[in-house]
Amino acid sequence: MLCLFAVLLSPAMVYAHGAEIEYTVASSIEIVAKYDSGEPMAEAQVTVYAPDDPSTPWLTGECDDDGRFAFTPDMSKPGTWDIQVRQAGHGDMIHIEIEKGSVIGGSSSGYSTGQIVLMTVCVIWGIIGTALYFRRGKA
Amino acid sequence: MKKWAALVVALALTAGFLIVGCSDNGDDDNTKVGTLEFKANGEDFVRHGFVSKDGWSITFDHVYITLSNITAYQTDPPYDAHQGGQIDGKAEVKLDGIHTVDLAEGDETAAPIFVGDVRDAATGHYNSISWKMDKATSGPSAGYSLVMMGMAEKDSQVEDFTIKLDAVCGYSCGEYIGDERKGILSEGSTADLEMTFHFDHLFGDAGIPADDELNLGALGFEALLAMPEGGDPDMDMAELHLGHVGEGHCECD
Repeated sequence: MLCLFAVLLSPAMVYAHGAEIEYTVASSIEIVAKYDSGEPMAEAQVTVYAPDDPSTPWLTGECDDDGRFAFTPDMSKPGTWDIQVRQAGHGDMIHIEIEKGSVIGGSSSGYSTGQIVLMTVCVIWGIIGTALYFRRGKA
Repeated sequence: MKKWAALVVALALTAGFLIVGCSDNGDDDNTKVGTLEFKANGEDFVRHGFVSKDGWSITFDHVYITLSNITAYQTDPPYDAHQGGQIDGKAEVKLDGIHTVDLAEGDETAAPIFVGDVRDAATGHYNSISWKMDKATSGPSAGYSLVMMGMAEKDSQVEDFTIKLDAVCGYSCGEYIGDERKGILSEGSTADLEMTFHFDHLFGDAGIPADDELNLGALGFEALLAMPEGGDPDMDMAELHLGHVGEGHCECD
């Protein structure tokens, strides 16, 4: 069983002699992996797959002693990110949807853009034609 | 002139309707196919043997398991085997027939056992699978779903055994969990899915603590040996968690 928390890294400035370090705020994802018994999957193997290449690991690592693992996904790769956790013959996978901004790609109706445009034109043409028919009748 | 204009417009709309309406919307990949293979794996517990929770050192000569209703699915959102329920796939591939395979076939380095393949499977990611552990209709395990033959040793005792179970169980599973992802099928290529069987869940494992959840739920060798032919009618296969997809979970009912 895997639990998910989204964590924003807190901003920080660090100054040292002769150096300047800047920071950026990024959205990271933290998972918590536990066995069914509630025991954390300490040092479990983690493999992260990005949506543009589901066959090739994008990132690998290990959970800490509390079964936690955090990473920052590439926000330029929207879609489903898959995170696999394995240890001692047990494993599971969770799936996290990442959206690019607020835009959701694709058509929910299942029609292509061309088909939608044509249907719209046909409806408009039908309305105009019907209006002209009744207008001609009155004249 | 107006009549000609109206006719031209009507013809243009008709042509556009035929061209666009008859075209695909770009989402249909059914014309792209590949080969999807189905494999069964008893893992090292079957290939190498192991020591059961009650101290018997077990090696297998044959482990006949019979599988039917084998179906692979492309699911979105991915099927959650922990929640269970019916698998709702946007694409399905069925392997016809009842298949009996010997999970102990080959030597210690043997690969997972080939069960069958479908050569015109639609491309995509098959991230779910279901199958039924069923009774064989012929062959060495006719009438039984699982027949295990081998040798067990403990202290000075040696036991040649044949354990026959006739329990039937339908497994519904999520995505394969292992060293690599499976079921990602591209055009003209071959991909595979694996039905994995964890026999430590039946016999237990002396290599882990006796109070581990696996050992607490396992039957052990002596209990299995003492069962009547066909198995204990009260035995609940769902509780034994025999079927997996690699290390991934399956629901059994």
